[in-house]
Amino acid sequence: MNKPIEIAIEDIDLGTPAALSDSTVTVHIDGQAVEVPAGTSVMRAASLAGTQIPKLCATDSLDAFGSCRLCLVEIEGRKGTPASCTTPCQEGMSVKTQTPRLDKLRKGVMELYISDHPLDCLTCSANGDCELQDMAGVVGLRSVRYEEGSNHLEAGKDNSNPYFSFDASKCIVCSRCVRACSEVQGTFALTIAARGFESKVSPSEENAFLDSECVSCGACVQACPTATLQEKQVIDLGVPTRKVKTTCAYCGVGCSFVAELRGDELVRMVPDKQGGANAGHSCVKGRFAWGYATHSDRITRPLVRETTDSEWREVDWPEAIAFAADRFKAIQQQHGVDALGGITSSRCTNEEVYVVQKMVRAALRTNNVDTCARVCHSPTGYGLKQTFGTSAGTQDFASVQQADVIMVIGANPTDAHPVFGSRMKRRLREGAKLIVIDPRSIDLVQSPHIKATEHLQLQPGTNVAVVNALAHVIATEGWIDEAFVQERCDVASFNAWRRFITLAENSPENLAEISGVPAEMIRSAAATYAKAGNGAIYYGLGVTEHSQGSTMVMAMANLAMATGNIGRNGVGVNPLRGQNNVQGACDMGSFPHEFSGYRHVSDETVREQFTALWGVDLREEPGMRIPNMLDAAVSGQFRGMYIQGEDIAQSDPNSQHVADALSAMDCVVVQDLFLNETSKFAHVFLPGTSFLEKDGTFTNAERRINRVRPVVPPASGLAEWEVTCALSKAMGYSMDYANASEIMDEIAALTPTFAGVSFDLLDELGSIQWPCNEQAPEGTPIMHAQRFVRGEGQFITTPYVPTDERSTRKFPLLLTTGRILSQYNVGAQTRRTNNTVWHAEDILEIHEADAELRGVSDGDWIEVASRAGSTRMRAHISDDIPAGVVYTTFHHPVSGTNVITTDNSDWATNCPEYKVTAVEIRPSSAIAVGV
Amino acid sequence: MTLDYNQQHLIKMANQIAGNMPTRENVPAQIVQHMAQFWTPPMRADLKKIAENKAESLSDEVLAALALQD
Repeated sequence: MNKPIEIAIEDIDLGTPAALSDSTVTVHIDGQAVEVPAGTSVMRAASLAGTQIPKLCATDSLDAFGSCRLCLVEIEGRKGTPASCTTPCQEGMSVKTQTPRLDKLRKGVMELYISDHPLDCLTCSANGDCELQDMAGVVGLRSVRYEEGSNHLEAGKDNSNPYFSFDASKCIVCSRCVRACSEVQGTFALTIAARGFESKVSPSEENAFLDSECVSCGACVQACPTATLQEKQVIDLGVPTRKVKTTCAYCGVGCSFVAELRGDELVRMVPDKQGGANAGHSCVKGRFAWGYATHSDRITRPLVRETTDSEWREVDWPEAIAFAADRFKAIQQQHGVDALGGITSSRCTNEEVYVVQKMVRAALRTNNVDTCARVCHSPTGYGLKQTFGTSAGTQDFASVQQADVIMVIGANPTDAHPVFGSRMKRRLREGAKLIVIDPRSIDLVQSPHIKATEHLQLQPGTNVAVVNALAHVIATEGWIDEAFVQERCDVASFNAWRRFITLAENSPENLAEISGVPAEMIRSAAATYAKAGNGAIYYGLGVTEHSQGSTMVMAMANLAMATGNIGRNGVGVNPLRGQNNVQGACDMGSFPHEFSGYRHVSDETVREQFTALWGVDLREEPGMRIPNMLDAAVSGQFRGMYIQGEDIAQSDPNSQHVADALSAMDCVVVQDLFLNETSKFAHVFLPGTSFLEKDGTFTNAERRINRVRPVVPPASGLAEWEVTCALSKAMGYSMDYANASEIMDEIAALTPTFAGVSFDLLDELGSIQWPCNEQAPEGTPIMHAQRFVRGEGQFITTPYVPTDERSTRKFPLLLTTGRILSQYNVGAQTRRTNNTVWHAEDILEIHEADAELRGVSDGDWIEVASRAGSTRMRAHISDDIPAGVVYTTFHHPVSGTNVITTDNSDWATNCPEYKVTAVEIRPSSAIAVGV
Repeated sequence: MTLDYNQQHLIKMANQIAGNMPTRENVPAQIVQHMAQFWTPPMRADLKKIAENKAESLSDEVLAALALQD
C-alpha cells in the first residue's frame, strides 16, 4: 500500500470566530497594520497579524465571552485594559498587546488560576496539550503566592461517560464547555451551577454526564483548555504524536477528522476545523465510535466453504479469489452471464465502488449491478433527475445559515445527521422558522430554544397528499414566484402542473381526512414556506422509503420551483443521505441502468467512451435491481452475487424472502469487516477494510468529495479495490491500477461532473463539490444557480396514490422505522463499541392509548406481527408518536425488524416501503429472543 | 398458469407503475418508456408471457403498453 499521507494540518486558534462583514477596517497591532472585516475582534486581528494574545476562555469556535481576563490589551485613547476577545476592531485603532502593565496583570490572573489547580503537570494526562500550562509559560509565571486557603483540588471525577472523563479538580470554570454545548452542539446539557467560588460545570442540573442530556458529541472535550474534560483514550495511552486528515465513515454529513495516533495506534479522532461539511464539529459516532475497526470480531483472512452448512475454511488470497472465480465461471457456463450480479456499498470509497461496478459490467459481462442506495435514496435519483436534471442535493450545508424557513420532511437530523442538525439548530435559534412534516415528534419539534412553527403530524404514507395540499394553497393564494417560473422553468409543464394542483381534490380540506393534518395547519405552513423569504427543504428516508417515494421527491421539487426557492444560498431541495457515500456510490455508476455520472447504458455515445477506455463491449440494456435479482434467485434464474459491504439479510425488507433468495444461489461472495447475517448464506468471505485503512474518497450529501486517507495499514493486507481487481482478473478481465489515485483519474476521464477531480486537487483544496470541470474548476457549492442541469426546470404532476399497505382489523397499527443517534443502521459497527450503553436493543415506541388497549406496560416484551412475519422486542410508551402509529429502529439483528417489513416498494425505483407496515402487537415473553 | 414469486412481483410492479405515472395522458407509452429504461429484457418478456396467460392480473394500461411493444 501507499505510505500514509500526512498533509500539513494547520491548527492555529484565532481566538474568536470570523466576522462576516464585507467591509473592512485597518488597525495597528503593536505598530503593525492589519486589515480585517468589520466586527473582527482585536484578539483575532492580532492573531491574523501573527501575534498570539494570551487567552483561556476564548477559542475561535465560540463567541467571545470575556471572563478569563488574560487577553487584556491597551488601546490608544481608551482608558483601562479591555479584553481583546470582546473588543471589536475600529478603523485606525492602535493596540498594544505587550506592555509591563499588561504583563503584570496577566501574571496576576494566572497566579490566581494556578493557585486552585493541581500542580501535577508532569503526570497530568494533558501534559504538553494544556492551554493553562501553555499560558503559565507565556506570562512567565514562576511562583504562586496563594498557597493557603480554600480550593477545589479535592473535587471528584465523573467517569460515567464511556469515552471521556470529567475531572472537576482541574476545571478553571472558563465556560468553554458550556458554550460549546450551547453554541456548537445546541443541546444545552451543560451549565455553570452556583455562584462565585462554588461555581462549577454541571451536566443537566448536577447529574452525571451519562445520566444527563449530554449527547456525547465531544464539543466540550474539544473546547476544554485543560485536562478537565478529556478523552479516556488519551488518559490511557498518552498524547498523540502524529496526525492524518481523513473523513468519517458514518452518515452522509461526511465530517472531516484529524486522526491522532501514537505510532499505528489510534488515540483519538478530532473534528477538523477546516472540514467543509462539519467546520470542527462532530457527533458521538464519528468522534468516539471507531473502536469496531480493531474489534476482535474483525475477519482479516479470506474464508471459503463448499456449502453454507459447512464450516468456514481460512485460505490465502489467491485461493479465495480462485474459488470465487471458479464458481462464478461455472454459473456463467451453466446459466448465462445474467445469472450473476453484484451490489456496491455506500460504506465504501468512490474508487472501491467504481471498480466493483466496472468488474460486474466488464468482467461478469452483465449490467446486474445495484447499490444499497436502492433501499434508501433511489427515489431521490429518479425524482431530482426528472425535475432538475441530476441526482443530487442542490446546496452546501452552509447554505442553511441563510434560510429563513426550514422545512424538514421525513428526516430526524439531530439523530441521523447530528452535525448538520446542530448547524440547523443554530440557524433556528437565530430566528429561522421551522416546519416539520413527520408522524413522529422528532427532537427538532421542541428542544431547548427551538420550537417548530408548524408540525404536520401526518399519517404514514400520506406525504404526497400533504405536499400537494401545501402546493395547492400556494398556487391558489397567488404565492407562485411567476417570474422565476417564467424565466427558469418549462412553462408548459408548469401550466399543466398548475391545472392539476389547483384542482379541488388537492385542497387541504379535501386531503385532511386522508393525511390526518388539519387544513388550517396546512394553510399556515404553506404561508410560512412561501412568504418567509428563503425556503429550504431538507428530507430523509421518511420521504423516499414509500410506495410514492419518487413522486414525493418530484412534489418537493415542484414546490421549490413554484416558489423560486432554487439556485441561491438559503433555499433548495436537499436529501440528507443516510450513509457516508450514498451520493458517491450512485455517482459512480452503481445503478443497473446507468454508467457513472447518471448516463443511461443505452446511450451509444456514452457507451462508446466506456468501451474505448475499458476495452470491452458493454451491454446496452439495463440490468436487474437488487429486488429483481433476489426474485430471480428464488425462481432459480439468478445464481451468484458479489456483495460489497452490505448486510442485505438484515437491512433489506422481508428478511425471509431475502434469506430464500440467498439460499437459492450457488455462490454468494461477501466482502465485509465482520461475519454478518448475509454471510450465513455466503460461500466466500473476503475481508474488507475499515475507513481507517482506506485510501480514496467519499462524497457526502452536499456532493462534497472528501479524501479518505489511510490512517493504518489494511488489517487484511490488501485494499478492497485490489481484491476486486484480483477477482476481475481471475474472471478474465484485468483492471490494473497502481493506487487509488489512478482509479479517480479514470473516473474523472469518464465522468463529466468529475472531470476536474484528482487527489492532488483534493489535497490542495481540502474538498470539492461536484460538478468540478472546466466551467467550475474548484467545484459547485450551489447547483442550478443560472439554469437547471436539464435546462429548464420540469414540473411534474404528482397525483396522490395511497399505498397498498393499510391498517386493517387484523393489523390496525402502522409501523414506521428509523435510526437513533448512538447506533447506525444494522449496527455492525456501533454495536461493537461502547455506544451500546445508550441503546442496547431495538425498542418499539407506542402511544399510551394503543398500549393500554392491548394491556402493554412500559418495558414489556411484545410480539410485533405483520403480514410478512413477526418479531419480539420491548415496548416503550411514548407521546412522540400519535395513536395508531408505532415506531422502532433496526440496529440489532436479534430483533430482526425487517422480518416484519413487507415487499412493497416505490413504484419507480423499487425502494422498499420501510416507513409503512401494518402491524398488530400483543404482550409476549422474552424467551424467544434469547434474553 | 400458477404464478411464482417473481411473476407476482412483476405484476405488482407493472400495475403500480401504471397507477403512479404522473401524467395521466398516454400512460401506456409512458409505461413502455419506463420499462425500457429500468427493466431487463427478460423481465419485459416475462411480463409479456403473463399478459398472454393471465391478462386479468394486469391493468388495462399495462396490457395496452405491452401491445405497444409488439
